[in-house]
Amino acid sequence: MAGFVTRREFLNLLGATGGTAAALKAGTALGLLPNGAAAASLDLLNPGSNGRQVAILGSGISGLTAAYELGKVGYDCTVLEASHRAGGRIFTVRHGDLIDEIGNRQYCEFDDEPHMYFNAGAARIPSTHRNLLGYCKKLGVELEVFVGENNNAYLQDDALMGGKPIRSNDYKTNVRGFLSEMLAKSMSMEEMNQPFTESEAEHILGMLRSFGDLSEDDLYRGSFRNGYASGGFLRHSVQKDMIAFRDLLKGSVGREALAGFEGDYGPMLMQPLGGMDKIIAGYTRVLGNKVKYRTIVTGVQVKDDGVDVAYDQDGVRHSLNADYCFNCIPTHLMVGIEHNFPNDYVKAMKYVRRGEAYKAAFQAKQRFWEKDDIYGGISWMNNRSRQVWYPFHGIHKAKGVVLGAYDYGGGMYHTLMPQKDRIEAHLRDGEKIHPNYRSLVEKPITIAWHRMNHMLGCSASWSRNFRQGWTHEEESMYDTLRAPVNGRHYFIGDQISMHSAWQESAIMSAQWALGNFDKRVRSEAL
Amino acid sequence: MNDGLKGSKLVLIGIGMLFSGLLFAAENAREPFDDRYCTTCHGTDGKGNEGVQAPRLAGLEDWYLQRQLENFRSEIRGVHPQDTEGLAMQPMAAKLSDASIVDILQWVGSWDYVPAEVTIEGDASAGRQLYDACVSCHGANGEGNEALGAPALAGQNDWYLVTQLKNFLAGYRGKLSQDTFGQQMATMVRTLGDEQGIINVVSYINNLSGGK
Repeated sequence: MAGFVTRREFLNLLGATGGTAAALKAGTALGLLPNGAAAASLDLLNPGSNGRQVAILGSGISGLTAAYELGKVGYDCTVLEASHRAGGRIFTVRHGDLIDEIGNRQYCEFDDEPHMYFNAGAARIPSTHRNLLGYCKKLGVELEVFVGENNNAYLQDDALMGGKPIRSNDYKTNVRGFLSEMLAKSMSMEEMNQPFTESEAEHILGMLRSFGDLSEDDLYRGSFRNGYASGGFLRHSVQKDMIAFRDLLKGSVGREALAGFEGDYGPMLMQPLGGMDKIIAGYTRVLGNKVKYRTIVTGVQVKDDGVDVAYDQDGVRHSLNADYCFNCIPTHLMVGIEHNFPNDYVKAMKYVRRGEAYKAAFQAKQRFWEKDDIYGGISWMNNRSRQVWYPFHGIHKAKGVVLGAYDYGGGMYHTLMPQKDRIEAHLRDGEKIHPNYRSLVEKPITIAWHRMNHMLGCSASWSRNFRQGWTHEEESMYDTLRAPVNGRHYFIGDQISMHSAWQESAIMSAQWALGNFDKRVRSEAL
Repeated sequence: MNDGLKGSKLVLIGIGMLFSGLLFAAENAREPFDDRYCTTCHGTDGKGNEGVQAPRLAGLEDWYLQRQLENFRSEIRGVHPQDTEGLAMQPMAAKLSDASIVDILQWVGSWDYVPAEVTIEGDASAGRQLYDACVSCHGANGEGNEALGAPALAGQNDWYLVTQLKNFLAGYRGKLSQDTFGQQMATMVRTLGDEQGIINVVSYINNLSGGK
């Protein structure tokens, strides 16, 4: 049995005894709760009768937030949006909608019904994103619970269980059981007890038994937590067989299920009733004709007393002379627009990398997942399509829209394919979980954010090294880009945050800029 | 799949005349679109955008632009897996109709030529020697020569020229037999030697007036 490690050696490998003491110490620092539960409240100064003009470039949620807040206190805002629609990466696709991917324009052919929609960009609202939730409340956007984690959804990995999809529950219950047993056993070792008092050790054992569903003798013997092999209602329930731990170590997709529903992705999550763009509709209802569509910004000149914006509409160049400008145009596009920004600002604009995320969806002819005990949630696959999302909006209706691919990392794999190859790839991947997938779905759409007109990218990334985090230089460029030019021009959006890809970050970026701006306006008013 | 240009239910209004307007979908009042999307990548009035590595189009000769759009469309250019920028461009041109290409040439022709910003530093005097090999086709002032199919180089984004020369040298561009002019260029580029040679010659090109 050369090459095998004993359980004891394994724990030593983990540095269990040394590491535990460090973790104990670190733990004492965790006494603080994050500050208050209220959303940031802006108290902007009313500009009075001198009717200050503000140009908002881009109708992403940060631009709309700026326009909403400034408009509320009397600023005269104009929102210039290059696309035919507002919202940027908050994009809900329904029957007849244009998906404006350059080189691959599509019209969505889903059935024309309220529940037949697909959130192609932002798709979940964590309950801790209190500023976004605050606007949902103010704008009257109705919310419902969104389920990400579903223990009945599948994990599929060609290396795991011979490629046969297994229920998330079967994986998690067994992994927790075996890990708990391994740790519980070692709790009896003297050296493991050392850092803990007797009563602490007793508590830990209790936690492990509860975490892993261990029997009295601290062994994992399977569990009812992952459902029954048979019975359970009119007959005695029969426990499922355990899956050998060694088998669960094959393939890596299970790790996604262990980590993928934590933090921002964990419960509780919400979604607006009827589509994520109901939030955008809430803003545009208030802003009305302040939002000008198909207006393409062609120039931004910051002056001492204002900002001159040039834009094209219907092939004609217009100018908008504003006192202030809030700009959520992606920095990589702003580089190609005439401007007079300072050199260090431009250097930072060029540094930010554009995201490559990619999604695809199908109309399902029937809600086949519901027949398989799956109501909402996400299945994970160890292939390039990565995920299948089951909508729980429209439960028990005839049809639904299923997410067929979400590549949040290397989306270029599918982006580089022509439409028909993308779709074939998702059908092939999805078939590994749902055997008749190909015949159950139709009317595909794909969203390659890297090629979407007027955006050309998903969420921005600042750090070149994911593992090492931000360098000092990156932080300094971030501060440069966040600071106003001449006190007149602000970059906003999730691109000007350290947590891009979230609506909350975009909103907080706008709020930060508004706060900074307001301070300046107040000091000038004195 | 719908295709706004080839769909039979679309009404085309005055190609090249009223083309600044949009193609109107006659049915279902669906959101219309046209093929004037070049500036999303190539920047205001086609001035080029380093942010997405899309070169200057303003001032480009129409015969050269047409050839390149057609090469991209017919997969003569932008298909090598290492040609990152070409791969980004190829699908953008893949569905262009002849009419759209004509319209784009007109549109691009309406933009003012503004020489691109200098972004690279090399040994321009060493580059001057290397440029001797380029003169016969691209001209002493980098003004280009339509009769020889050689585009102007002066005023183009230097980072773009560097990328393309590297692509020619590495065989990412100018390898396909249908790419007559690209093949010639792939041979000529060997006189530049290596990446430093490329940077030097482009530094020299940065000083050329284009004869304008």
